[in-house]
Amino acid sequence: MRTDFAFIGVMLITAFLLMGVAVFAASLLRPKKPSQAKLETYECGMETVGDAWVQFRVQYYIFALIFVLFDVGGVLLFPFAVAFNVVPIYAVLVVSLFLGTLMAALLYAWRKGALQWD
Amino acid sequence: MSLIDTINNLLKIIGDAVANLVQNILGPGLGADLIVMGLGALALCTVAALTFMAMTWAERKVVARIQSRVGPNQAGPFGLLQPIADGIKMFTKEDTTPTSADRWVYNAAPLIIATFALLTFAVFPIAPGVVGTNLNIGVFFVIAVGSASTVAILMAGWGSNNKYSLLGAFRTVAQLVGYEVPMLLNVIPVIVLAGSMGLADIVQRQTLADGNPGIPFIVYLPLSALAFFIAGVAETGRSPFDLLEAESEIVAGFHVEYSGMKFALFMLGEYVNTLAVSIVFATLFLGGYAGPILPPYLWLALKTALVFFVFMWLRGTLPRVRVDQLMSLNWKVLVPMSVVNIIAVIILAKVFVTSPGLQAANGGILVTPATQAAILFVANIAILLSGLAIVARRARVLRLAEERQLESRRQANRAAVSGFAGGAPAK
Amino acid sequence: MTISQILFIVIALVVLGGGVMVVTARNLFHAALFLIVSFFGVTGLYVLLDAGFFAAAQFLVYIGAISILVIFAVMLTRGVQQAQPANSQWPAALITSVIVFVIMAIMLGPIAVTIGDRQFGNLSWPNIVEGQTVPAVPDDSLVRLGQSFVDFNQYGAAFLLTAVLILVAMVGAIWVARDRTLKDVMEERAELAAEEAQEAMLAGPAQPALPVGAAQVAEPTAEPAVRH
Repeated sequence: MRTDFAFIGVMLITAFLLMGVAVFAASLLRPKKPSQAKLETYECGMETVGDAWVQFRVQYYIFALIFVLFDVGGVLLFPFAVAFNVVPIYAVLVVSLFLGTLMAALLYAWRKGALQWD
Repeated sequence: MSLIDTINNLLKIIGDAVANLVQNILGPGLGADLIVMGLGALALCTVAALTFMAMTWAERKVVARIQSRVGPNQAGPFGLLQPIADGIKMFTKEDTTPTSADRWVYNAAPLIIATFALLTFAVFPIAPGVVGTNLNIGVFFVIAVGSASTVAILMAGWGSNNKYSLLGAFRTVAQLVGYEVPMLLNVIPVIVLAGSMGLADIVQRQTLADGNPGIPFIVYLPLSALAFFIAGVAETGRSPFDLLEAESEIVAGFHVEYSGMKFALFMLGEYVNTLAVSIVFATLFLGGYAGPILPPYLWLALKTALVFFVFMWLRGTLPRVRVDQLMSLNWKVLVPMSVVNIIAVIILAKVFVTSPGLQAANGGILVTPATQAAILFVANIAILLSGLAIVARRARVLRLAEERQLESRRQANRAAVSGFAGGAPAK
Repeated sequence: MTISQILFIVIALVVLGGGVMVVTARNLFHAALFLIVSFFGVTGLYVLLDAGFFAAAQFLVYIGAISILVIFAVMLTRGVQQAQPANSQWPAALITSVIVFVIMAIMLGPIAVTIGDRQFGNLSWPNIVEGQTVPAVPDDSLVRLGQSFVDFNQYGAAFLLTAVLILVAMVGAIWVARDRTLKDVMEERAELAAEEAQEAMLAGPAQPALPVGAAQVAEPTAEPAVRH
């Protein structure tokens, strides 16, 4: 297993270096004549007012949270799926109950209007 | 070894020869192993990058044909050299970093997105025995690594310090990450049937050998395949789910401030992710490299090209979906349907077993693989159709309510108009 | 030193360095990014422990999901760029972290502490004790994990409780972030109007010539509540 992941590590480093080399080579080849106008933030010709780093709506956060909850739920199903052929038949009931509870959570969010984007 | 065997195992023979050569030069040991791995990684990255170039050409050509245009036709025959021309342009184009940008974050984002897109290629089985590394968690690894792109998109959006960029990044992340959930959920039935997360094992279960029936999983699980495909299109942010780019609204989204090579890396990340989703779909549902007569790697390439063609087809024909439709489709249609599908598949797969050993261990009814496939197929289609019926019914109710409202407003207007018709003096 | 020891030191430095930067970065967005670096290091630790599934799960859940949640939370706060390095609660945080550190040092270290008739610490981890080796992770560890999730003698109850926890988290999240309902808004406006009317009443005796004006002040604030 660890030896399997050794290749992942090598691949990660190789890919990163390759991409870095591409950017570096481009920086040698390309012209470099910066000017005031070029370096300004692009906003369809208007002059930018203030930072983009402003406060955002809470709805984005709610969706991210619902996503995290279901992500965790989904991850927990994977070991069961791998063991499917060796688990006893009542395991199907346990997992159905697990999924049913997840659906109840989704239904709650639905009824409360949290899934509505406006 | 016959000629046909040689052609079928061409990639493995080349790989073994290179590995032997390195080990003969350096002697067996850690250094030689690392160099062999590095060469393998380099080969995979190169193949992915070249396929990316071919994909840009194919997409422009196919979408142009769908829209009755010609597409690139100046550079080389059929515009085949267009990707090379694009590459030269990307390399030599001036690349500015806005003064107000967050320099480190801004420059790291394209590198991260491209690196993690390429990393998924480490686990794809290209032919029997030809695979970067046969992880036993293969498909889970691909989905996990694919999720890194959201972080890179947020970094790009933030680092640019541009309102369009940040808005585009937030749109993507809030609206599209949700599609990872149906992606995860629809892989589960495949793992249940294959009994493993390793991509090579999943292909093995769909190959006609060793007592396996050789039926691709799309026959067993058409609903899972459909939902996985929709989620895959959304996850890669491609049309019709390209709200993150939406050039008419937020010009180009998170990468509006990028140009030159860094922009090229974003494109590479996007296309390589699309390619990865195509390969995963081909492996999970179409049987990967399994197939008769042709060499295995050609089968994988053909199946992947078929999936990517559907991607292009969607891009050429469908308009962009609205934000609320996007959210509803995911959370109110795909996720509930996938969960019902999982429950149905695990119950049916436990009741109708295909091997006597499983029957002896857990009970159940012994059926042939073809019968099991037919049962699961019918169940999948039944869930799909009833789901669609519920959606259609709901949509009709909403539409009727809207029409009623419109009608009552119309009547009120009419009443107001006829009130004056009696002879109110016009002023 | 073996290769895995060297790798462990490198990865531990990444985790700890990321953690230190999270605490010291003034820009909250940068702090969130360093948190991701730290998470990535933890992924590496799982790989070193031969727990491939947990490494991928760590990547998927923490880097792909939780870090996004953290970044969104950061973006919801004001003054992302000029965060105060410390607030009034820093002594409490310091005491808590010192206590946690001491407990962990005792749990993992060679010193034994006896409380009552139970001994804590000096746990003789197999890789610490000379001559013992860590047993290899079995090939079917994932299958065993899956079995234990549905076995009520092992983690079956915990598995189902996780779903309940997710349900509770969903309810809590929606409750915390709920939009103020129309009823809340109307009540608030009514309160405001009542307050202003009271103020006008209090001001009334001093300026008896303007009772009509006071009523006019109260009216516009009450009106929107009716209109909505």
